[in-house]
Amino acid sequence: MNSFKKAINNAHLSRFRFYFQIASFVLLIYGGYLAINIGDQLPTFACIFSEHRGGSCYLLGLQHQMGTPWSSYFSGRGIGILVGLLTFIGLFLVFNKAWCGFVCPLGTVQDWLTILRNKFKIRYGGYSEPVFQRLSKIKYILLALLILIPMAIGNSFFGLATLNHDFGVPFCQICPGRTLLPIFSGDFSQLAIDLSSKTKMVFTALGLLITGIFLAGSFIKKRFFCLFCPMSAFHYIFAKAALLRLNKDGAKCTRCGNCYRACDVGIRAIADDLEHKNIVKDDCMMCLKCVEMCPEQGCLQVKFLGVPVFEATEDGFFKRMRGRDDAK
Amino acid sequence: MDFLSECGGVTMQSDLDLRFVRMQKTTGLHLAMEAENTLQQLTEFADTPQAMTYFYELFRNFYKNGHQLPAGKKVIGTMCLQVPDELILAAGAVPVRMCSGAYAYEQVGAEFLPAKSCPVVKATTGMLHINQPVWGEDVSAIVIPTTCDQKKKGGEMLKEMGYPVYILEMPASKDSDAARFYWQESVKKFALDLGETTGTRITSAALQAVIGEKTECCRLFRKLNDLRKGKTPLIFGKDIFLVTSAYFIDEMGNWQQAVRQLIAELEEREQNDLAVTNRQAPRLLLTGSPPLFPNLKVPILVEQTGGIIVADEVCSSNRLLYDAVSYDEVNLDDMVSALADRYLKPCTCPCLTPNLDRNRKIVELVNSHKVEGVIYQAFSGCLPYEMEQKSISQTMNEAGVPMLYLETDYGNEDLGQLSTRVEAFIESIKARRRKK
Repeated sequence: MNSFKKAINNAHLSRFRFYFQIASFVLLIYGGYLAINIGDQLPTFACIFSEHRGGSCYLLGLQHQMGTPWSSYFSGRGIGILVGLLTFIGLFLVFNKAWCGFVCPLGTVQDWLTILRNKFKIRYGGYSEPVFQRLSKIKYILLALLILIPMAIGNSFFGLATLNHDFGVPFCQICPGRTLLPIFSGDFSQLAIDLSSKTKMVFTALGLLITGIFLAGSFIKKRFFCLFCPMSAFHYIFAKAALLRLNKDGAKCTRCGNCYRACDVGIRAIADDLEHKNIVKDDCMMCLKCVEMCPEQGCLQVKFLGVPVFEATEDGFFKRMRGRDDAK
Repeated sequence: MDFLSECGGVTMQSDLDLRFVRMQKTTGLHLAMEAENTLQQLTEFADTPQAMTYFYELFRNFYKNGHQLPAGKKVIGTMCLQVPDELILAAGAVPVRMCSGAYAYEQVGAEFLPAKSCPVVKATTGMLHINQPVWGEDVSAIVIPTTCDQKKKGGEMLKEMGYPVYILEMPASKDSDAARFYWQESVKKFALDLGETTGTRITSAALQAVIGEKTECCRLFRKLNDLRKGKTPLIFGKDIFLVTSAYFIDEMGNWQQAVRQLIAELEEREQNDLAVTNRQAPRLLLTGSPPLFPNLKVPILVEQTGGIIVADEVCSSNRLLYDAVSYDEVNLDDMVSALADRYLKPCTCPCLTPNLDRNRKIVELVNSHKVEGVIYQAFSGCLPYEMEQKSISQTMNEAGVPMLYLETDYGNEDLGQLSTRVEAFIESIKARRRKK
């Protein structure tokens, strides 16, 4: 058992993650070919618009359901909404934010863009801490909007007129997942501006603009989009109850900053926060690169249901470093 | 009149010259004696590991025929561990850490430095002064980070002596983004300037190779550090300080080879449960001003008195080799900034403010190495260490670990009172144990 644990802690988790991401990507984008579908309440950006998907993102269903008039919330539709939400929460709680780091196809695309940039030997960009803190709030605004706008379709706020149905699923209309992921199954049709109404025209044009920013941004900044992702904001509401956890023992931390350097999103707290045991922050995607880069025995620990499954060890750190230094 | 004054001038000049030459000779002799004396004391302990012979011989040879610089390649002197030696190696030069622990050199420095300046600066500046005629041509640069004030001002003096001094600008704090980026830019500039000095531009392949070598050094150091955690004392702290001091002057590959042998021998001893000293010896941690060869006065004294130093938090040992560089991408941009982070973020030098990481680090070492007492060595004149004593002592008090504060220097005059105090401290730890 001990040697098994050691082998796991010595593992190059990032390599495993690379292949796991590919497998997840194939499942979520092409699963339909094998008649696989793992549901429409997934806590990750698997897009409903990819034709042969193996599952899809909960945000579409959520936005759709939020358009329900208040009166129907307590009818059979209310049960539907509740079941959807509970399924989403249930799925999320098992893997926590590892859905982002290991499964999310849009996240994977960003990681591939990083690999591409590396091949071109172009340097990466990042944010200073204050800018990061400011940008980090955008995702909550997006989350609020993607719930409130559909609500204003089915209901009147403060006696104002309701919005028309072209405002439906507003986030999907601007999401780069909608424009990009169908391309992987040969469908380029989402790369267009919908001219059927003014509202749709604005939304889809914005969508194309955001797609452009997404591609350029994540080519330069690792996991550029994740900082703005409303799914990530939604996750964070439930993250404290998740079964998979990332814990930090502040006493063992030397604040060497290795973890912060490794963090693709750029979360400063991973290195500097010495007080919180649960170190999964709202922007975290649980790629666990920080654990790989931490040389302090047991300082960072990944636990599932309280059982440590992967932890920082001195041995593991140096094994991985050697792998890195020898790979020329 | 003119003729006379000229004559007078010349005589004075040659008087000075003569005096300088005489000082050079006596310093050389004193240095050799001092080094030999320290080595003698180091080897007088029983059951010293065989593999330590390499390090004893290294220092014996180093000081035998006068203090030599490595020949063949360009030599770049460094005045502090904050200088990334990886960059110097990647630029095809040899880094030599100049910080000296020699009393003979301190005496030279005392001639022109204020009496209250710290012995490290006195000895290092003195060493460079007395060896200037011999080394002047060979040293391509002396890199001085803007850590403590005395080193900065010492640097200005070295410049006047004719040395090519390079000032590596370093922030006085490490927590803000501004400090971090400032230091990263500083290190980047250093990397570029080094390329010009040596004529070899630093490439990402060369830097990656050097970082790999240095990482191996860190791994080995940590292995040694881990071997000191066990209940059975396997190696004396005085030997560890010699091993890490050897890193200053030795070629990396040779150093690794020797340390690997030492580790293998210690692991064998661990298996056979062979203790290097009394198993009841109080387990101590040394922190504060750095023990630098040949000044291993305090560690030797502590261990002669019956204690054993199982951990340390000093810039000539733990702080020098504990942390490895963690870069994410193989390109100069990321590697150089990772290198810069490595030299700033984990640093616990009292030049930095705030420096609470030092308190936390010592507490963690106390826990991991089951330390029973802390020896705090402060060189008189080293104000940052002297002032931080209070904070560390309070933290130790809270942790329930006794601490002995020793203010000392490179001389032997205080050996009597030091030995009385160390003895009393060690006895008090033993007494504490009996009470428990």
